[in-house]
Amino acid sequence: MNRFTLICAALVFLLAGSVSAQDVLFRNATVLTITDGDLENTDVLVSGGIITEIGSNIRAPRGITEVDATGKYLMPGIIDAHSHIALTSVNEGSSPVTAEVSMEDVVNPYHLGIYRALAGGVTTSHTMHGSANVIGGQNETIKHRFGTKDPDDVRFEGAPRTIKFALGENPTRVHGNRGSGGTGAIVPATRMGVEQVLRGSFENGKRYMEAWDAYTAEAATNPRAVPPAYNNRLEVMADILRGDVLVHCHSYRADEILMLTRVFNDYEVRKITFQHANEAFKVAPELAAYGAYASVFADWWSYKFEVYYSTSYNAAILMRNGVVTSINSDSGELNRHLYHEAAKSQRYGGLNDAEALSMITINPAIQLGIQDRVGSIEIGKDGDLTLFDGHPLSVYAIPAMTFVDGIKYFDRFEDADDMRLQISPSAEIGTFEGQITGRDHIHDETEVLDFFELFGEDILTTIDSQ
Amino acid sequence: MTVFYSLVLAFMMLIPQSQQQDQKARQGTYAITNARIETVSDGTIENGTVVIEGDRIIAVGINVAIPEGAQLIDGSGMHVYPGMIDSGTSLGLVEVGSVAETNDTNEVGEVTPHMDALTAVNPNAVAIPVTRVSGITTVITEPGGGLLPGTAAAINLFGYTAEQMHAGDVRMLVLQFPRKGGFGNFRRFRGGGAARDPEAEYKKAMDKLNEIWDRASLYQKIAAAYAADPSGKTMPVYAPEMDAITPVLTGDRKLMVKVDGEKDILAAINWVQERKLTNVVFSGVSEGWRVADKLAEAGIACLVGPMLATPTRGSDRYDRAYANIGLMADAGVTVAIRSGETENVRNLAFNAGFAAAYGMGKEAALKAVTLGPAQIFGIDADYGSIEVGKKANLFLSDGDPFETSTNILALFIDGFNVPIESRHLDLYQEFLNRDEGRLQPVEVLPADH
Amino acid sequence: MLFFGAILLITGLCPTSVHAQKDSADIPTVSTTYAIEGARIVQAPGRVIDSGTIVFRDGVIESVGRRATVPYDAIIIDGSGMTVYAGFIDALSRVGVAAPERTPMAPVADTSNPTYERAGITPEKQVRTLLNPSDKSVDAHRKLGFTTVHTVPHGNMLPGSGAVALLHGKNADAMIIRNDVSMAFQFSGARGVYPGTPMGIMAKFRQLHKESSRRLRLEQMYASDPAGMARPPADIVHTAFFPVIADEKPVFAHTTNALEVYRALTLKTELGLTMVLTGLSEGFDTIDKIKTSGNPVALTMGLPDKPKWAAEIKSDSLDQILASYTDETRTATFRDVEAEKRNLEAKQLVTRQKYVEMPKMYAEAGIPFAFTSYGVDSKDLSTNLKSFVEGGLSSDAALAALTVNAANILGLSASMGTLDAGKMANVIVTSGALFEDDTTIKYVFVDGHKFEYDTKTKKDDAPSSRRRGQ
Repeated sequence: MNRFTLICAALVFLLAGSVSAQDVLFRNATVLTITDGDLENTDVLVSGGIITEIGSNIRAPRGITEVDATGKYLMPGIIDAHSHIALTSVNEGSSPVTAEVSMEDVVNPYHLGIYRALAGGVTTSHTMHGSANVIGGQNETIKHRFGTKDPDDVRFEGAPRTIKFALGENPTRVHGNRGSGGTGAIVPATRMGVEQVLRGSFENGKRYMEAWDAYTAEAATNPRAVPPAYNNRLEVMADILRGDVLVHCHSYRADEILMLTRVFNDYEVRKITFQHANEAFKVAPELAAYGAYASVFADWWSYKFEVYYSTSYNAAILMRNGVVTSINSDSGELNRHLYHEAAKSQRYGGLNDAEALSMITINPAIQLGIQDRVGSIEIGKDGDLTLFDGHPLSVYAIPAMTFVDGIKYFDRFEDADDMRLQISPSAEIGTFEGQITGRDHIHDETEVLDFFELFGEDILTTIDSQ
Repeated sequence: MTVFYSLVLAFMMLIPQSQQQDQKARQGTYAITNARIETVSDGTIENGTVVIEGDRIIAVGINVAIPEGAQLIDGSGMHVYPGMIDSGTSLGLVEVGSVAETNDTNEVGEVTPHMDALTAVNPNAVAIPVTRVSGITTVITEPGGGLLPGTAAAINLFGYTAEQMHAGDVRMLVLQFPRKGGFGNFRRFRGGGAARDPEAEYKKAMDKLNEIWDRASLYQKIAAAYAADPSGKTMPVYAPEMDAITPVLTGDRKLMVKVDGEKDILAAINWVQERKLTNVVFSGVSEGWRVADKLAEAGIACLVGPMLATPTRGSDRYDRAYANIGLMADAGVTVAIRSGETENVRNLAFNAGFAAAYGMGKEAALKAVTLGPAQIFGIDADYGSIEVGKKANLFLSDGDPFETSTNILALFIDGFNVPIESRHLDLYQEFLNRDEGRLQPVEVLPADH
Repeated sequence: MLFFGAILLITGLCPTSVHAQKDSADIPTVSTTYAIEGARIVQAPGRVIDSGTIVFRDGVIESVGRRATVPYDAIIIDGSGMTVYAGFIDALSRVGVAAPERTPMAPVADTSNPTYERAGITPEKQVRTLLNPSDKSVDAHRKLGFTTVHTVPHGNMLPGSGAVALLHGKNADAMIIRNDVSMAFQFSGARGVYPGTPMGIMAKFRQLHKESSRRLRLEQMYASDPAGMARPPADIVHTAFFPVIADEKPVFAHTTNALEVYRALTLKTELGLTMVLTGLSEGFDTIDKIKTSGNPVALTMGLPDKPKWAAEIKSDSLDQILASYTDETRTATFRDVEAEKRNLEAKQLVTRQKYVEMPKMYAEAGIPFAFTSYGVDSKDLSTNLKSFVEGGLSSDAALAALTVNAANILGLSASMGTLDAGKMANVIVTSGALFEDDTTIKYVFVDGHKFEYDTKTKKDDAPSSRRRGQ
């Protein structure tokens, strides 16, 4: 739908005088558009969940909810390009290649993490398969429409398909370096093995695609053509080769980052976002030339050997070298203050306000292929907005309200303390439950890194669990 | 030799006043002039001067005499702050978290109070420079793991040996207070396994703690009696674990009780009171706000944090961890901020920023990372504020050090002018424009893109 | 003569012959006909005979009515003061199948490619090979009024194929009235091997289904004309999918929470499966979805435990606490901690109440449902049913779930679910209205075989002093 049509529709809407839950008018904010500079004392109108007007003294449709944003900052809802919230399960770590599984099947709209992210101004998360496997499962982009019990309601409709790859210590530890217990180690145990798993999977995917193309051609004339064996794993590999799936690859070392670009180049796969990519700064020119993107931490380092030689200036170096870079959380704690994580790039590399904010808005939108819908405050984009007390890049900033599709899902002053959608009817209450802190690299208690954390000692027990 | 050093010094004085050129930390005489000085102890001084000589601050004020030969640092438009103190880390004890051989925090066994963290501190840990260039000059570094994992120490973040780094001789015995209900509802995926009985386990742990403490008391009595008059007495049994507890019993060494949950805090308060321990501090205290009145009443200081954490309960308000310390301070609890970090202790400043934003206020938050902890650890004669006679642990910044847009421009620890450099900065400098030294163009993938 | 011959013919044809039927070990049977007289007979929910007689012979109901002719050879049971209902049908269970022992399994060399057995993928496994009439669960169930169960093997993702069995018989084959009626499916991952997670299970199911479709087509092609074709690949698992693909066999998908319902329905829609959903423990969150999908459901008879803190509190106080709940709590400081705790307790009661009221909610939404005991301890079944009724489920709706609706879902309506002439004699005789505290079950007839339960009333301390038949 083009913007003109949208504006006309919006005007008709306005004239008709009826308002919906998806309509809201922000008055007199400092609007951080991201793509068109900062606008002082500006109003923003959202109708039917879409931004329809940006300007001064917008005429308010009758009955619309008005938000007085005087003295406050309105920015696009933050987009977290690496998350594991809202998932029932994260790692199908039993095989180094699991392209056929998808987070689409295990979205959990009940997860309180969605609300807590909203309280940090995040409106969209790319919630991902874990990093146990070289080729993991497909991810899901969700909008934080907290309050529903139906998983379909939080899907970001129309968002491109993406898939998780992982290089380095995680897959080699999970699969190749298993300890005792008699369970065999399987390839990969080294970075060499990781490359071969990738090449083997792509080659098999290519041949699968060719076999099915050949069959389809033959079947047009021969009713007794025999279709090849169906394999949903290779089907997804074929989709990647066709360019239908964006690859997001967990990676750290510069050499393995380049390895992947070589493999992708051989198979003509163009769309790649390197996730974490702590050493991407060492090969920034190569990444920029390939058109690869990077989605990195603000300052995590040294928790594993492959991130020992990292620098918190990673994001700044990448940006300065022309790589579209975002800052992500990979954590149910960090995603509550991604605005602060992005702000760290001002200390570590001197990025200006626009650059810093772009790393949590338009850049992750580009990396997820949803930049036409979100990532900036522009007419025609979704009404995914967050209102701050204080400039978002200040450590003293406090998110006050967050909207998705024009509907308010977080209000610092109006929301109850206990926002849980479900509780246990019998568990003990009133107890300390635990915390995720900024240095917790287990990421939201569901992503686990080691084989025995995945399966525990019970791998040796019987199958019945009921 | 003296001639050589004099020549070096003379040479040094001819070098232009650029911090970055001289890559070695040096003591000497320095004067930071015309800066906004946040003394913490006595308000803000605009356009003030701080004079440092050796390891001490010798002058602070507006019209102070600057000694001849002092290296001048122009602080116009800049701020001077006391070096920040982090009240709980494992800095220097761990190099790479997932590589067990580089992790020296956790010794075998539940009862190892005699394990001395200071011994294991690596003065050359890569994380140390990374931390101090953000203005943190002193930290508590603690062992972890068992019931009594060891003895924590306060270290300044500059020194070539542990002794040089040891700040104020501060040591604290760490007690990981037994936790009711195990881990509650927080599930770390650990496979199936037999059902645990948290109540029985808790009772066992408390019994063990009490047994240890009773024996330690007896041990101390025996040792004291033997020391007073060994004649006719058999030598006492040797128990280094008990030796480590003795100074806590006599009140000479602080006991740091690590405790988080509401019920556990109350149990810990009761326990230290029953045991008549007054030289005590609580650490972690993530649910401290729930029993802030009891903590204030008991007069127990708390090292709280990190702020950057999720709430401890699903039913809690989303910002509870940010607001916890402010609520405790409101109720009258003496507090300091801890990051609980290993490699990102530099985020102490941001933890303080969040504490300030969510209720504590900037002034109290600043105190909680400077004079507050110094007072709690009994080293405020030397640390925690910019006052004449105190150690020269301070930094120069272009703004509020809690803000990410602020840069730290100069750093002093023990009077040493520590260069603003770290591995992160080195990599930045090398890779920002990686190929600028190259004459031939770089070939990058893909050729036909 | 003819009459005698007719009897011999009948008894010779009926599997339930006089010879085989011995209620007590060595006392011979003298009649296979029963008549219960003067009882209140609930033929079906809403069809009640205040005082009537029901007659059944050789396991078939001969007549039900206010006045019914009692055959001369009937064993007469005085039904005054008693109520007669149709026997309960359990829509999904593991009754009669012993739970496997937890023995250590052999370590696996390649977790990415385990055997079907190790992966929990055994859809071909027939419960008939595992069913044992002497298993304790059989009598435990029967004692509660169940006469028929749809039972499936234990296992993980695809434990096997289910059968409809009567809770009486000398061996599995005697018990089973319909074999191979379902493909059991649940989101229970294999430990330590692929697929271990729900998304792995979803992907594996899709893979098996799609590849099986291909193989079925190849089998059909090959059968009609093998010339020039390689022999189609075949294995026992893919072959087990053929009836599902041909829409001849439903998938019974057991779910233990709301999200699993969505997942199961996703597979159903995507693959065009005929599916029955069972369990739905958090079904209060899926009512709209079930209503729009029109999918048959069997709700769990399980209930979560009461919270420990509520154990000592009287139910009146509990109701007060429940009513005091507010969802607007603000716990600002330590002063508010007490109030917070009380409100959280109330919230917990409110939450548990949702489980108790779930069947009522389904009834009110106009969604017909059966009940399943899958995963529920049999000693809790009776209490839980009473709780559902206390929670607002009408006893008619509860009865329907246990009888008519279950028969519909399992395709057994022609022969059971109500007390009508011609149907199987699966009958329960109780001391009063079902689901009330004082009511006990006195007799259960399975396929016309009598089981007497020596019931004790609440006031009775000396059971041995009771006279039988009262």
